[in-house]
Amino acid sequence: MAEDFITTKLNPDNHLLLEQPLIRLHYELSRKNFKSVQKQVEHDRGQILSTLKTVANAALSGSQDPFQALATVESMINRLEALGQKLQAVQENEKRLQAKSRQRIKHLGELYTMQSLIDVKYEEWSRTRLDRLLVDYLVRHGFGNTAKELVKRKDLEGLTDVDVFEECYKIELNLKTGTGLTEALSWCIEHKALMKKERGNNALEFHLRLQQFIELVRKRKLIEAKAHMQKHLAPQTEMYQQEVFEATGLFAYPPTTRTEPYVNLFSTERWNFLSQLFVKTHHELFAIPEYPLLQVALWGGLVALKTPTCHSANNSRITSSRSAMVTVCPICSTELNDLAKGIPYAHHSKSFVENSPVVLPNGRVYGRERLRASLAKIGVAPGLIRDPITGDVYVESQLKPIYFP
Amino acid sequence: MEGGTRNNMRRQVDMSFSSVLTRSDISAAPITLAKLQNPVKQGFDNLGGDLKKIHRSLNDFSKALDKRFKDKPLPTVNQDALDHELIKRAIGMHFLREGEFEVASAFADDVKKQNGRDNILSPHLVKAFKEMYGILEAMKAKNLKPALAWARQHSASLEARGSDLAFEISRLQFVWLFMGDLPRSLSKALVYARQEFGGFQSRYQQEIHELAAAMAFSPNLADSPYKRIFYNENAWEELGQSFTKEFCSLLGLSADSPMYIAVTAGAIALPVLQKYQSIMQLKRTEWTTEDELPVEIPLPRNYRFHSIFVCPVSKEQTTDENPPMMMPCGHVVAKESLDMISKSIRFKCPYCPSESKPADARRVII
Repeated sequence: MAEDFITTKLNPDNHLLLEQPLIRLHYELSRKNFKSVQKQVEHDRGQILSTLKTVANAALSGSQDPFQALATVESMINRLEALGQKLQAVQENEKRLQAKSRQRIKHLGELYTMQSLIDVKYEEWSRTRLDRLLVDYLVRHGFGNTAKELVKRKDLEGLTDVDVFEECYKIELNLKTGTGLTEALSWCIEHKALMKKERGNNALEFHLRLQQFIELVRKRKLIEAKAHMQKHLAPQTEMYQQEVFEATGLFAYPPTTRTEPYVNLFSTERWNFLSQLFVKTHHELFAIPEYPLLQVALWGGLVALKTPTCHSANNSRITSSRSAMVTVCPICSTELNDLAKGIPYAHHSKSFVENSPVVLPNGRVYGRERLRASLAKIGVAPGLIRDPITGDVYVESQLKPIYFP
Repeated sequence: MEGGTRNNMRRQVDMSFSSVLTRSDISAAPITLAKLQNPVKQGFDNLGGDLKKIHRSLNDFSKALDKRFKDKPLPTVNQDALDHELIKRAIGMHFLREGEFEVASAFADDVKKQNGRDNILSPHLVKAFKEMYGILEAMKAKNLKPALAWARQHSASLEARGSDLAFEISRLQFVWLFMGDLPRSLSKALVYARQEFGGFQSRYQQEIHELAAAMAFSPNLADSPYKRIFYNENAWEELGQSFTKEFCSLLGLSADSPMYIAVTAGAIALPVLQKYQSIMQLKRTEWTTEDELPVEIPLPRNYRFHSIFVCPVSKEQTTDENPPMMMPCGHVVAKESLDMISKSIRFKCPYCPSESKPADARRVII
């Protein structure tokens, strides 16, 4: 049927909607590698060439102690060695990223070899996608061991990024418990070169510095606090006027104050704020969606599949398991039933009912042929009708045809 | 790329320095040092050239990505709509029903560690699915005994459901006795048939006759009309599927993982949802999630699990609040539509000439 053809046609481009992060993350990681190498090379180049020039000129003019020259030369060698090691490490990492990217592109490419959504190959592909999405959801919610176990069982190493999310989750958690400031700050510094040069993109760094300041004040280390303020906060006044202004006020209030906004600044709630800000910054930087895609896909599936019947008083999963005539619907199944409660049901513009429907005296509607075949199977005597769901028994003449215009 | 340049540079520097260091005569050192400047600069230039190449390919990659993914934001989801505890429960059940018991128990540990909660997995389901996979494993080893035992134990519920499972298992056992073991044992199969098929006589007369008739063709079954029964390559897999379906149904669960079905349906639905959302944004209208989704999502037929009735008068789907009502002529409309058209004592059906009283309309359950 034409309609079936339309609904089962697989459009690979549409399927890529969920897959952007799968490819983009590695691009961003490569960009990070590149930037850090570029910075290092530029820096070392300047240093080494100018040192070499100085040392050579000094040697030519004979104004230098040879042993000192030797020491300088050795330090240059060391610097080059270090650069070489860094390049090698990055290259190894880059090789791994590229192998993974290749594997991912191949995985997505498989979609272009399938035509139909009811193809067995699509089903397999979709199961792998579900596993990927599960790994992503699990590791983002801190269930790293489960994620790793799943990766191991399903051989998903190339298609998932457990390490990236675990690192992120570790900092997130430490910030939440108030122990991750230094760690988060070094993350900021490491990734500074990657951040787009926009106003306010340094919000995370600013707020981490602000928190360091608050902690110093809390410990009444006011002199250090003042130095910290001058070094890290005051230069940001233009951008964060309000915050810097309020921070300055902290000098006048003890941590036990009841005056706003100082209560807020001293509050432990700020750790939650910082941890959320960190995750947001991290995900934006690496083109990772704000929420795990499993949630997005799951939500889409619930609204696409849900019908008014799924939470109807006339439908319970216990009754529906009573007859092989009824296939248990995924939304009615225990796994998703409660989850789908607050969600709108799918829109339909056309009725979809069984062929040659008949109505029983109790009001339940079945397809005549299917009902008859199923009753024959249970061994119900000819001429009798038993409602497969409620078990009510009638004689066949009580069946009435019903029409759904 | 980077590695090559690095090694070259290093070799040059090493050579120059070693020449400095090995000569006892240090008068050559100034010259060597001066000469060294060019190769080192050259090395850095080469390195810069390599970096430029990398930069270029990164740019190409970025452009290719933009081209592919541009203007395709994900639909924004009201995240409060989904309760995380329930998602976690669904994930736990998904692992169990997929037979991933190790992943499931790692998950239970992780969840417990995080919020100190008790086991997220229902012990009852763990036990049930372990039993199910035990039986499936045996089936893979061509051992049907555990499956038969299970079917016998649940014969009352299975028969009430009108399930064919028990017969299907016995039939495959018969076929396997006949076909599987070498030497093929007609007598063993017949003994089995005599023992087991008695109870199936009334319901599966036709099928049992087929099996009996097939025996007449032995040993040339491959040329007989019953080839499909005895040479079905997928028989074991099919039996595994119907066993899984029956087993899950008795637990009140759907045969395939709802997580899998929902996420697959979601991926199919997302482009439509995303398109709708972007249109709504253009019109500056809010995405109002009321009872019903405002846009229709075409899904393949096998994603339909319930009958749907869209009232032809109101164009609305019937619900518990607005159920389908059948008029004496057999035509159905939604209750709200009925209330609207049946203001008088008698009213005409919108689809046929018959007239009826509002009180004659009956609620039906589709």
